[in-house]
Amino acid sequence: MNRSKIFTFISALIFTMIMVINTQAQDNSLMMATTTSTDNTGLLDYLIPHFEKQTDIVLKWTSTGTGKALKLGQNCDVDVLLVHAPSAEKKFIEKGYGKDRRQIMYNDFIIIGPANDPAGVKGKSISDVLITIKSRQALFMSRGDDSGTHKKEKQLWQESNIPLPDKENWYVQTGQGMLATINVAQEKEGYTMTDRGTYIKYQSYKGGNAPLKILVEGDSILLNQYSVLTLDPRNCANAKYDLALQFSDWMASQNGQDLIRDFKLLGQKLFIPNAK
Amino acid sequence: MDFIVAGFIKAIELLISGDRATWTAVWATIKVSTGSMLLSLGAGLPCGFVLGYFDFKGKKHLRTILDTMLALPTVFIGLAVYAFISRQGPLGELGLLFTLTGIAIGQTILAFPIVTAITATTIENIDHDLKLTLVSLGAGRRNIIATCLWEVRYGILAAAVTAYGRVLTEVGISMMVGGNIKYHTRTITTAIALETNKGLFADGIALGLVLIMIAFIVNLSLSFLRKQ
Amino acid sequence: MTNNIQVTRKNPAYHLKDIQHYYGNTKVLDIDDLKIEKGSITGLIGPNGSGKSTLLKLLAFAQKPTLGQIFYKGRLELPFSSSIRSKITLLTQKPYLLKRTVFENIVYGLKIRKEKNNLEKRVAEALLNVGLDYQDFATRFWHELSGGEAQRVAMAARLILKPEVLLLDEPIASVDIESAGLIRQASLNARKNWGTTLVIASHDLQWLYSICDHQLSIFKGNIFSTGVENIITGPFEKSDQKTLIKKLEDGQIITLNAPSQTASTAIIRKKNICLALEKQSGNGHINQLSGHITSMLLEKKSETIVAAISVHDLSLIVLLSPDQINRLDLYPGKKVILYFHSHDVEWI
Repeated sequence: MNRSKIFTFISALIFTMIMVINTQAQDNSLMMATTTSTDNTGLLDYLIPHFEKQTDIVLKWTSTGTGKALKLGQNCDVDVLLVHAPSAEKKFIEKGYGKDRRQIMYNDFIIIGPANDPAGVKGKSISDVLITIKSRQALFMSRGDDSGTHKKEKQLWQESNIPLPDKENWYVQTGQGMLATINVAQEKEGYTMTDRGTYIKYQSYKGGNAPLKILVEGDSILLNQYSVLTLDPRNCANAKYDLALQFSDWMASQNGQDLIRDFKLLGQKLFIPNAK
Repeated sequence: MDFIVAGFIKAIELLISGDRATWTAVWATIKVSTGSMLLSLGAGLPCGFVLGYFDFKGKKHLRTILDTMLALPTVFIGLAVYAFISRQGPLGELGLLFTLTGIAIGQTILAFPIVTAITATTIENIDHDLKLTLVSLGAGRRNIIATCLWEVRYGILAAAVTAYGRVLTEVGISMMVGGNIKYHTRTITTAIALETNKGLFADGIALGLVLIMIAFIVNLSLSFLRKQ
Repeated sequence: MTNNIQVTRKNPAYHLKDIQHYYGNTKVLDIDDLKIEKGSITGLIGPNGSGKSTLLKLLAFAQKPTLGQIFYKGRLELPFSSSIRSKITLLTQKPYLLKRTVFENIVYGLKIRKEKNNLEKRVAEALLNVGLDYQDFATRFWHELSGGEAQRVAMAARLILKPEVLLLDEPIASVDIESAGLIRQASLNARKNWGTTLVIASHDLQWLYSICDHQLSIFKGNIFSTGVENIITGPFEKSDQKTLIKKLEDGQIITLNAPSQTASTAIIRKKNICLALEKQSGNGHINQLSGHITSMLLEKKSETIVAAISVHDLSLIVLLSPDQINRLDLYPGKKVILYFHSHDVEWI
């Protein structure tokens, strides 16, 4: 090894380093925190290139539970939110963290489980399902991550007058995203609650023949509303409010809504646009 | 077993087809690992030299602290860096959360003790006759330091390779600080974690193969430098 | 050869005063007063661990003695001082070659001195001095050399500096006969051409005697400027209050006056030992030991002969004159009797 070789090597490294630094400087970029369901279904991968093309804004998103997404907004670590926990969202705005909340789309939650339905919950009402699962001690996978889905699930237990069974052996809290949790349920042959979009994505990964089937659906309590929230500039002066508003507008625009309506997997719609 | 075979096929497909998601993850990984390796070398080499060459009070305690730092879990570093560079944290103004620079900072903290410890050990193990030889050939202090460092260049290379291997494969910091943002801060390791979560083992294996390939190329080019 | 050079005799090259050197609590050197003349070649003899290497490091000003002072050409000097760093060079026992080419190893010292002229020619000369071919060796890497070649390259790296003082620590310990001869010649040339003062430590007495003007022997940190002296190590048995005896396995007995303080090693100066061909009747205070002559070496400066006599497993050294050798018809292998008085002993 001689010196010139080393110098070549080191200068190559430094060059790479400069590249790293250069890519950081982007002013038209918008940072979004969103839920795992919008990311896992592939909706954003489908939608965002259209948005970037039409607005010249680079949208980056990190997908996490709604609870953490709201926290990221509160801490001003992101510029805009796409989440699905209406009551938590309203509190977020009341506390002065969020400014505008705009409904964009919805789908619904469903209870899925093994095709042979060992606990026999198929077709029952939500509170009967949960009571049955509890009495049979059937394995139930919970997200356990304070996400929108998790908030909804806790609400269901509450409204069925069952204390949250979070110390029970049959109640498994994965602490992971929706698809990961469905996969855990599949491996352990248990039940779980998911949004329909993520379930369809899961079905498509399994070639349309997934081991877990929809057992309960259609109850009005299972509606799953997604909204875009901008951050209140008074709390987060550095957040890009204008760009966030542009994103919110675009999602609610005819164009955005049409694109959401056209997003299908296995011939099924994953989200139904409902911006006003 | 099918998905393992499928993984190999998919890996080749992804790379040849120039799949954007794959290639941006590859670039993000290379950029951030290289950057953090350089930073950790820049900080770790002088510290390691001082620690290995000089005798001073409290040196033993420093070594103990350093050895403890070697065992720092990546998730803890991730958490600490997150807390510091979040908007609410002391360095929030810099807006480093969810950037490659943020990941590089965390990985530098991860690699720094490795570089320092290996450098210190290498310097400590320098042939005792080297210093005597240099003195007897008329070398002054500055000559001695420069020559010593040049003499242990292979040891330093080993430190660099080890540090690179560590930062290349870590996932905790990249996930927590980088946020796994597609096309931006998604690295190969966080992508693998994501694909596995989704149950897409084939994609995970494909990315794992890419990672191994990068590690192989890096080691190959360094062993080329090292050829004796 | 010393006649060829002009040497100012005013100050010796080295003057060591009251040197005591410790490693931890162990005293490794104890030298009251030692002078080494300019342009001299001094041999340093002693067993492993006797303090030879330590003394050479002190002479190289690479270490500071725990106590005492070292004067170089009449001036008190301290380790690493830049004024002498460039004048004195030490070839350590296992020479360290830099992980570079032979050429770069040899010019290292010159580069430090910021000398950049005629490097190739000077390297070629230095290599030639140690019997290595420039074309063949200059571009080789450190790991492409045999032990003897590495030693000679290290020697060349010192010779190219034309040092005022060249200190060699076991320079031929790991080299073949040819290399030993080349290193000997290079050492002599250094003095002839540049007036270099040399101090050479070696186990090979024959080789050493063929180079140096005089010898210093060193044992347990004590210097004997008379050259090799006889060292008798324990265990000793107590005979009576005043004497100790050492029994050799072949039945011979050495009787020595007991030391006044605790000491474990006896020194019997070679000048105090006489040699004869037959035993005589004498008193119990005279030791008479029978043995064989094993070697005879000429001490160049004094023109006396140093003979080594093996007495069972001891090797004792006596001084002989050429006349004595003639008269007694001495030759290696001849059986002889050694005499010395039991009070002619020093204890350390």
